[in-house]
Amino acid sequence: MNLGQAVNRSLRIKVIVLTLATTIAALALSALGLVLYDLKAYERQWSNDLVTQAEVLARASAPALSFGDRQAAEKDLSVMRVRPQVLAAALYGRDGVLFATYVKPGAEAPEFPPTPAPDGYRIDDDELVLFRKVVENGEPIGTVHLRSIYQPWGRLRDYLTILFVVMIASLAVAALVSGWLQSAVTGPILEVARLAREVRERRDYSLRARKTTEDEIGQLVESFNNMLAESGRRAEALRLADQRKDEFLATLAHELRNPLAPIRNALEILRLAGDDPAKAKAARQMMERQVVQMVRLVDDLLDVSRITTGKLTVRKSVLDLQSVLRDAVEIVKPFIDARKHRFEIDLPAEPIAIEGDRTRLAQVFSNLLNNAAKYSDPEGEITLSAAREGRDAVVRVRDKGIGLAPESLVSIFDMFMQVDRSLERSQAGLGVGLTLAKRLVELHGGSIEVVSDGVGKGSEFVVRLPLTYGRLEAGRGDREPGVEGRGRRILLADDNVDFVTSLGELLSARGHDVRIAYDGAEALRTAEDFAPEVAFVDIGMPKVHGYEVARRLRSHSSTSRALLVAVTGWGQENDRKRAREAGFDRHLVKPVDPGDIDAILDSP
Amino acid sequence: MDAVNRTVAKLRWLAAVLALAPALTVHAQQATEPAVKAAFLYKFSGYVEWPASAFPAPNSPVVIGIAGSDEVAAELEKLVPGRNVNGRAVLVRRVRDAESVRGVHVLFVGRGEGGARALTRAAHLQGALAVTEVDRGLELGAAINFVPAEDRIAFEVSLDSADKSGLRISSRMLTVARRVVPRL
Repeated sequence: MNLGQAVNRSLRIKVIVLTLATTIAALALSALGLVLYDLKAYERQWSNDLVTQAEVLARASAPALSFGDRQAAEKDLSVMRVRPQVLAAALYGRDGVLFATYVKPGAEAPEFPPTPAPDGYRIDDDELVLFRKVVENGEPIGTVHLRSIYQPWGRLRDYLTILFVVMIASLAVAALVSGWLQSAVTGPILEVARLAREVRERRDYSLRARKTTEDEIGQLVESFNNMLAESGRRAEALRLADQRKDEFLATLAHELRNPLAPIRNALEILRLAGDDPAKAKAARQMMERQVVQMVRLVDDLLDVSRITTGKLTVRKSVLDLQSVLRDAVEIVKPFIDARKHRFEIDLPAEPIAIEGDRTRLAQVFSNLLNNAAKYSDPEGEITLSAAREGRDAVVRVRDKGIGLAPESLVSIFDMFMQVDRSLERSQAGLGVGLTLAKRLVELHGGSIEVVSDGVGKGSEFVVRLPLTYGRLEAGRGDREPGVEGRGRRILLADDNVDFVTSLGELLSARGHDVRIAYDGAEALRTAEDFAPEVAFVDIGMPKVHGYEVARRLRSHSSTSRALLVAVTGWGQENDRKRAREAGFDRHLVKPVDPGDIDAILDSP
Repeated sequence: MDAVNRTVAKLRWLAAVLALAPALTVHAQQATEPAVKAAFLYKFSGYVEWPASAFPAPNSPVVIGIAGSDEVAAELEKLVPGRNVNGRAVLVRRVRDAESVRGVHVLFVGRGEGGARALTRAAHLQGALAVTEVDRGLELGAAINFVPAEDRIAFEVSLDSADKSGLRISSRMLTVARRVVPRL
């Protein structure tokens, strides 16, 4: 027997048992009432009957009593033979003395009471005992006494036997009827159960249960079908997401691998032609481009993880939209130029104030521009425009590139979605840019949408951001990092030898006094004599980790006032909090932007 | 010790006397034949139906005439005060001859009466229930005749005689009669 039959059986049996239990309860209750009533009626009828007998007997035997004729009296009593229930009868004289008796033939002679009791009957064990005065001519002349069988239990037994038979018959009929009718109730449920099993076994969400009734079961069937449809949609969505993720991983591997070959080549060139400044410069520039590309990829990757874990946040301040757009253009301009596109920028003269995260918004617009450049054939046309429209600031990025099919207009914003994978790999990216852009715009309380007349007809991305009336912050990036900055005592502690050495050289070149340590213990030893003003400390170091280093530096008198900067691969809020608690003033996430280090060193 | 024994013996004696007393009393009550016959005469009137003309008024008494037995008459006189038959009081009258049978409803002719036949005939004429206590009493014209039974007094009934007096005797009474002479 498989599981399905068990389910079948149990539900069917439940319905039948339900019917039978109801029937039994109803029958038992009515039977109880009937039996109680009958017992009472039995007693009343029986006693009435006996009283009548006694009455008749009293009248018949009155002359015998009157004339003291014992024989006649006994003859009168013997009439009771026709009443087999009467076990014994007796007549008492006027003086209360036993006068005549009758005992049912074959019955054991009872002990007659020596004197009669007052009129009335009583139940004595399983006998009904009755006394009745004989009155003749208005005078009491004696008493009739009757003893009769009184066995309600026998009657009760008969009754229960009949009841039992009736009940069995009723149950049989009820079982038959409910067995016949229950399919109307259980049928559709069993159908749903069977279907659910089939869906589970075949993973086929296109199956549907037949809806046969409009009652709750019909609703159940309908809900079940809806859930199936929903499950099917979700399963499909999951499958697609999984597929895109696989493709993303393949792309990612490829994208990360791509810049390595040129970098290795450049290193080889440097090794072979180290003396030739022109060749060395070209090689260095190539490496820089590739590194920028790799950093961008890894940044995207980090953003992906932030989106999926819901930890993407923005730090808002009041901004001038034009300057943000200029930042974006600055990032993408080289790529647009390389593709030889015609690029038009149409920005209003007066500033448009919005509230947002400068870096993140620049990332959004550079992304859109980058896409426009990427998905247009060389020498295409790209337009960037901004305007106020009602309460919104609206930014449009238009191109005459490959366009979008209508069905892609929504899914283009899904994670890992790329329109054309046949494009040159170096341009392909990871397919997270638009997802990221959409999330970021939404975090700013805005919206992003795309319009396209179709494949090959170009596309236009429209970003709407709410206007604000706050005070604009001072523009950033106007100030060049000063080589001539005041020289400081700087301690660098990191076990990544390449990173720390290169950073050390960079800082030394800018006039700072730099010491380098490759683990926590060494950092502490160095700090003791050196007493640095600023310390960049890696968290994940051997021997003594960064948090401990920070705590000790804080507790030591010569370094207690030093500016402590944590340098980690982890930028989550938790990590920042832990760093603050350990005594760090600032927190930098690898890869470290030299601009950030300059900003820290320039701060008073 | 001795005193206790004596007391116990006395108590036993007392208990025996007390236990026997009711039996003695009953025996005494049942004893005399005239008393039983007097009671029967009174009771007979309850089972006999007289024509309405037998009574001057609806509440006229039932008159029981006694001839030839002073003992029965005396017992009856003791018995009837305060009693009634079908709402009628009961009177006892001593009867000497056929003349005085007039107005009598039940006539008892005792063994001591010589002219039984004349009296029963008078009873027939007067519509009275004639009762005798002799052998072949019914043949003398009595409607009821006392006969001795083993330990008690029984009676026999002649419906024929009762018919002659214009009386109906209840069939219930006949169930106790020793012998019933049917109507001719």
